[in-house]
Amino acid sequence: MIRPEEIKMSTEETGKWGMVIDQDICTGCQACVAACAMENNITFVGEKDSGYGRSMHWIRIERFWEGEYPEVKMTPNQPMLCQQCGSATCEPVCPAFATVHSQAEQLNLQVYNRCVGTRYCANNCPYQVRSFNWRDYKRPEPLSNQFNPDVTVRRRGVMEKCTFCIQRIHKAQDTAKSEGREVVDGEFTTACAQACPASAITFGRVDDPESLVSQLARAHGHGVKHLEELGTLPNVTYFKGG
Amino acid sequence: MIKRLFDWLKQPLGLIAVGIALLTLFSLAAYGINYTQQAPAQPVQFPHTTHVGFGIQCLYCHPGAAKGPAAGIPTEAKCWGCHNQIAKTETSLLLAPLKQSVESRTPLEWVPVAQVPDFVQFNHRAHIAAGQNCENCHGDMSKLTVAENPQVFNMGFCLACHKKVAGENHELLVKLTDCGTCHY
Repeated sequence: MIRPEEIKMSTEETGKWGMVIDQDICTGCQACVAACAMENNITFVGEKDSGYGRSMHWIRIERFWEGEYPEVKMTPNQPMLCQQCGSATCEPVCPAFATVHSQAEQLNLQVYNRCVGTRYCANNCPYQVRSFNWRDYKRPEPLSNQFNPDVTVRRRGVMEKCTFCIQRIHKAQDTAKSEGREVVDGEFTTACAQACPASAITFGRVDDPESLVSQLARAHGHGVKHLEELGTLPNVTYFKGG
Repeated sequence: MIKRLFDWLKQPLGLIAVGIALLTLFSLAAYGINYTQQAPAQPVQFPHTTHVGFGIQCLYCHPGAAKGPAAGIPTEAKCWGCHNQIAKTETSLLLAPLKQSVESRTPLEWVPVAQVPDFVQFNHRAHIAAGQNCENCHGDMSKLTVAENPQVFNMGFCLACHKKVAGENHELLVKLTDCGTCHY
């Protein structure tokens, strides 16, 4: 058993895109969950398969019980999504190199056409944020027209997870390049951050000290990165009790 | 049981049967490969050679290539913009579907030829902006009538060019060979 203090932490800041989530203002309304499903063509698995634990979400709202009965309290709402780790545990276990680290965007990628569905990555993810396509779920007629053309429609037997809306990153970069400028902070955001009515989620460049995410992280001061002791170098910071 | 089968196959009739089976398999495979390499049937036998021959730029009919991900296929309204001033349009048998489409206000259902799989996110704009010409991928359209692919758009084809363009520029090479640049 390795104790957390024995783990050599990589102090190298590798992140590019990051997120801050303020749990104090999150109301748990699940708008981010819905927006994410719409943006990223996530299928609706239905009641039966959900019962088998095959529900598919790239972001979910977690709550835990706190304290002993009868003094039981709920922890604050905790939106949990892929932390886009700088040193991800999902990556080295993939036998097909389908989950690889993007050197250009510093994100964890899932290459759907490489994935053979071994599900090692999901079993090795300490955040449990990966979801597997157990079936090809049919969409009833009008819903089949609402696929986002910028995102691959995944098929059965493929693992998938949050991409930090990489299609929006590419679109913003493409627009900026066509106008001959750099991407401006706040020019675009992820679907979950855009949908959040309480603005609890903020997305941006963590390697830019002037970006809104960096400023928020500095202003709050007590940001928590989940399971940081595992050495995964997550790029999502949580605020609680500020 | 197996031995009896082999014995039967070794006699002349058996050898002929094996030969026929192999020939059938081979011809089916040849037919299948040939079938997948053919350009799809189009509503109009559109002569690219004539249009390019007149000096019409690719971007006149496919303007999306310079602006966004998809080059786009022109609507019959765009065709009609020129063709309603051309006397031959009224009489030509080749152009009858276009005339009918405009008169009945039903769009021509062109079949896209140059396609990549759903898991590939291709953006025309970036390629045109990087100085690539249409014919680098789509071949010389001045020699083609109905559009067909000069080569298979597989990952080797894309990456060979990406690596060549990046050259010694390490930062560009990282970007152009990153999985997330095309697959997401």
